[in-house]
Amino acid sequence: MNSKSNSEWLTRRAMLQKSAAGFGWLAASAMLAEPVGNAATSMQVSSRPLAPREPLFPARARRVIFLFMKGGPSHVDTFDPKPLLDRDDDKPFPGEKPRVQFAPTAKLLKSPWRFQNHGESGLPVSELFPNVAQCVDDLCVVRSLHGTNAAHGGALLKLHTGSDNFVRPSMGSWVTYGLGTENENLPGFITICPTFAHGGVNNWGAAFLPSAYQGTPLGNATVPAGEATVRHIRNSRLTLAQQRVQLSLLARMNRDHMQQSGPSLALEGRINSFELAFRMQLAMPEALDIANETNATRKLYGLDNKVTENFGRQCLMARRFAERGVRFIQVTHSDGDVQWDQHGDLRKGHTKNAAEVDRPIAGLLKDLKARGLLKDTLVVWGGEFGRTPAAQGGRDGRDHNPEGFTMWLAGGGVKPGTAYGATDDYGWFAAENKVHIHDLHATILALLGLDHERLTYRHAGRDFRLTDVAGHVVHEIIS
Amino acid sequence: MRALPSNTTPLWVMTLLCALICPARPPAASAEKPGAQGVEFFERKVRPIFVEHCTKCHSTSEKSKGGLTLDTRAGLLKGGDSGPVLVHGDPDKSRLIQAVRYKNRDLQMPPNNPLSPSQVSDLEKWVKMGAPDPRTTTVTVSVAGGKRVIDMEEGRKFWAFQPLGKPLLPNVRGQAWIQSPVDAFILEKLERKHLKPAPAAGRRTWLRRATFDLTGLPPKLVDIEAFLADRSQDAFGRVLDRLLDSPQYGERWGRHWLDVARYADSNGLDENVAFGNAWRYRDYVVSAFNRDKPFDQFLIEQLAGDLLARSENIALKHERLTALGFLSMGPKLLAEPDKVKLEMDFIDEQIETIGRAFMGITLGCARCHDHKFDPVPTEDYYSLAAIFKSTHTMDDLKTVARWHEPEVGLPEDFRAKEDFDKLIDAQRLVITNLMSTANRTLIADAKTNSLSSNPESRYPTNTQAELKRLRDGVKRMETEAPELPSTMGVRDGTNILKTFPVHLRGSHLTLGKEVSRGVPQVMVGSTRPLFDERHSGRLELARWLASAEHPLTARVMVNRLWRWHFGQGLVASTDNFGALGERPSHPELLDWLARRFIAEGWSIKAMHRVLMLSSAYQMASNVGNALDASDPDNRLLSHFPLRRLEAEEIRDALLAVAGMLDLTMGGKTLPIKNREFVFNHTSKDATTYDSTRRAVYLPIIRNHLYDLFEQFDFPDPAVPTGNRNATVIAPQALLMMNSDLVQQAASKLATHLLEDTRMPDAKRVERVYLQAYGRPPSGRELERARRFLDQFEDTISVQKPRPDNCRAQAWTALCQTLLAANEFIYLN
Repeated sequence: MNSKSNSEWLTRRAMLQKSAAGFGWLAASAMLAEPVGNAATSMQVSSRPLAPREPLFPARARRVIFLFMKGGPSHVDTFDPKPLLDRDDDKPFPGEKPRVQFAPTAKLLKSPWRFQNHGESGLPVSELFPNVAQCVDDLCVVRSLHGTNAAHGGALLKLHTGSDNFVRPSMGSWVTYGLGTENENLPGFITICPTFAHGGVNNWGAAFLPSAYQGTPLGNATVPAGEATVRHIRNSRLTLAQQRVQLSLLARMNRDHMQQSGPSLALEGRINSFELAFRMQLAMPEALDIANETNATRKLYGLDNKVTENFGRQCLMARRFAERGVRFIQVTHSDGDVQWDQHGDLRKGHTKNAAEVDRPIAGLLKDLKARGLLKDTLVVWGGEFGRTPAAQGGRDGRDHNPEGFTMWLAGGGVKPGTAYGATDDYGWFAAENKVHIHDLHATILALLGLDHERLTYRHAGRDFRLTDVAGHVVHEIIS
Repeated sequence: MRALPSNTTPLWVMTLLCALICPARPPAASAEKPGAQGVEFFERKVRPIFVEHCTKCHSTSEKSKGGLTLDTRAGLLKGGDSGPVLVHGDPDKSRLIQAVRYKNRDLQMPPNNPLSPSQVSDLEKWVKMGAPDPRTTTVTVSVAGGKRVIDMEEGRKFWAFQPLGKPLLPNVRGQAWIQSPVDAFILEKLERKHLKPAPAAGRRTWLRRATFDLTGLPPKLVDIEAFLADRSQDAFGRVLDRLLDSPQYGERWGRHWLDVARYADSNGLDENVAFGNAWRYRDYVVSAFNRDKPFDQFLIEQLAGDLLARSENIALKHERLTALGFLSMGPKLLAEPDKVKLEMDFIDEQIETIGRAFMGITLGCARCHDHKFDPVPTEDYYSLAAIFKSTHTMDDLKTVARWHEPEVGLPEDFRAKEDFDKLIDAQRLVITNLMSTANRTLIADAKTNSLSSNPESRYPTNTQAELKRLRDGVKRMETEAPELPSTMGVRDGTNILKTFPVHLRGSHLTLGKEVSRGVPQVMVGSTRPLFDERHSGRLELARWLASAEHPLTARVMVNRLWRWHFGQGLVASTDNFGALGERPSHPELLDWLARRFIAEGWSIKAMHRVLMLSSAYQMASNVGNALDASDPDNRLLSHFPLRRLEAEEIRDALLAVAGMLDLTMGGKTLPIKNREFVFNHTSKDATTYDSTRRAVYLPIIRNHLYDLFEQFDFPDPAVPTGNRNATVIAPQALLMMNSDLVQQAASKLATHLLEDTRMPDAKRVERVYLQAYGRPPSGRELERARRFLDQFEDTISVQKPRPDNCRAQAWTALCQTLLAANEFIYLN
């Protein structure tokens, strides 16, 4: 970002912070925040919790697709090449290891994969991701992420909710709370094939935010993407025509009841909710039906190949939801187990995992770009942590490493074809321009036009936010 | 606000170093006017570093993280929370220098990027020069480093910390409306605003309201008829007696408490393992409510049941141990690699829960810094932490950590276990004997003294078969081994701490001054608890909380009762009575109720009678707009609020109306073994929710609630909640339209209606209205139902071949519509 646009942006932000009027979002937040400590009436104030809301300041991204790689992909084997690691293979790590480690590690282990520079930007990508490498000029690779928890559960929770010791609303819930959704016939926050382990629903839950903001799971990690569906979206016994007859009786009964009970936004809201539910029954299957996608598109996502078919379908659904105005879409790459968690069998495991996702991810990026969606869709790729440069369990595995790892962002206002931050010479610790998980959250919200310090919700007498009391926007990666 | 300690965030303070550093040379030494050379060096080299890299987080005008400010000389000389940062002339001993050198992982500044080597050496040189600093701006830096200092005397003036008042019943004009003292307080406020209370609700409405309220179930037809027929003075009181005596009362009101106790059948958080014995605590709570256990006793048992006087009565002893589930029930980060943090986190959870549940105070806020809004300094937090640090909650902290479970076996359980052990030992002996006989034969046959490897493969076939049969038998027995009953709970630790250090900024890596065990000072009246040196102090804490002098305990609990009856607390923020919470709408009423509660021996059932036999509770809810303008939130209670049923009530009402509800009480209902993963690393859910028992017995899986619960605002079972939401969202409608549960209930209901084939449809419609809504249908509704049945039948009869149960299907559809309608889940 050049300094001019940076300062303009900051000025506008500062101005908005001082101004007392004109906040679509703030007005909405005042409406939705727990009135007099009792959210029981909040829905009586707003019967449309998911109505779209204008962000605080101009948004660079209108929606998010988060490609979550469960288990922790190794950064030193994918997007963060370390020449000294090659040189000092099988030697001890010269620095001090973290105070808290998940498992003991032995000597340094060089990457079994070769890196090559790609695209005009010349960013290095390992041979694990030949297709993503073709899109490298669209990526902003952040190599200095760091978190706080070395175990899957804590790290997943930290990444998804900003907290690894308390139950807090998830990132997608905050975003939906802040912005509503652009298509009320679909949920505002959808998570495709999520895992129930390591935090499970907390990772897409609304915690104390109103339940309208919780993520809607589509299947789960043990269900093939082709069979993933939303619960209760279909009636097993009645036709739509029969339900229509039912619903018109229901509407008449409810209106009579409201006559008797007196006006109430809750009663009115519930009358509308049945109509909305009926429309969702039509909209969701339409969004999931890929029959009309061309062969070229299917191929682009790897639907023609057994290895890539499942994740490809997840990515294709993500694009279809993005097109239809869903605000936050998470796509999880996880089998029934911990997928990218190669404490052992690194070569085999990472090869298999990368093969499953490489083409679909590249397909998604290319497809979004071709359809003009990439410019206002923020795509985020990464796992809950990276892996240690030192070997674990022989010479073919790596331990969890939250001290320094890579995630990349694309589209939605990030600087394309750049790398930001660095780990130390061996890739163990984030060393330069460090980006904490809180900073990532603050930056994602900023790209969406939200101020992480002001997107708050009053609960149990305190204003909560996604970044708790931390987080800095990484302005340097915003274009 | 609460800053979360994190284990790798670089910390500006480091205890070890504190100890190493000699006291900083008195500022006087450097207060002399610095020489021109020093001034120039500071201006040219040092000040730019401070401005560019430090003062964003360390300044008197903006943030002063770690209590350190670097924008003035005074701030620099004072240092941060854990002492001075400069030792003039000695860079190695100056923490300022250690931090910028970036060698110590827990002490690195600036946090995101190190300074350049030349900047570091400039700072080193400057310190060596004696840290000349010409800045003269005088900003008063208080001892607390510019932070707010809590004034305890001032804090005590806040209403919630004041002793209970002794309010007199107010004088009101509308004496005729007064049925209970409660009414006088309500009416007085209404009259002052020239508002009139709504007229009394109809009897059917009141009965439906009271029955759901006390039992969570719809009234039965016989009960409706009996009540309508009872014209005596105490007809209402008799209904209350009946409802309060029914075992369903404890299931409904026990569930309210379980919200506060964040009850769950699994850990949630990172490692979602089964709390296989949590149900004992749940049953304890249900039974406590049914038996009207005095609340003070209920409180003491939950915090210190193990420390109460020893009793010969085994059942009583087990009951008290079971009550301790309250302390153990929280979500814990069981795989946290930093074990010290793991322990401090669950202690924090215990303190926070006790604070919110009993005192309505967010004590957890004081973990990292003095409470920003309430007069609770960090010292108070660690005084409480000392009590729980002296308590044994976990047996070990290895991944996955194990919580402690006291045994609650009866003599027959121990006997059964002994018998079983004998039996299985005997079986194992049979195997051993068989093998040694076979081995002897092998040795004899081979004429050697030793056995070859894997001798079993050379046993005769029938011996091998016999061995396999016996081993399979033992394996089967092992899976059926009786477990000695145990319950989630705590005991005193082996190391009773008399003092415990304050953890600066909440981190166990930076310890501050030692504090003794104690309770929040602002709530201490005339009696301060004295802590026994042999015990953790939980009993003293519990007794202090449960004393009649405590300013909060009774207030918080009567306010909860009020909230659960009237939909909105007198203090609307039921779990926060602090500065950020709401002020009471009727402070005198609140104090009057609190005193009455104590005077009635902390009897909750007595309070139900006081509250429910009031005119306030009898008011109608259906009033027009007229009243709303002056009191839009109905804080003054000019009418009864419309209430949406809670998740469990909706589910139980569906089953009750369909005649499917099984009223069996208590027992283990989680189909997963204790400590087993609910999902493991896979995402398969072993839990099912198709039981027809009351919803209170359905498993509560943290991270993966039963979908009906989740949709209908069941509170997050990881945090105490006294105030459920009642949102309206489309997925609720989908559930009512399409879920198996609702369709089955509708189908069962229809089947019952059609059982008597001679019954006319009009009669059937009347019956189903009575069952679902507790009232007969109007003529218009009758007619509409009839038309619907015909119309719906038409949609089916066009199908080919024409199904033969068209009418039954139409009835099912009608029943489902009735169950989905607002009248079914909203109470007037």
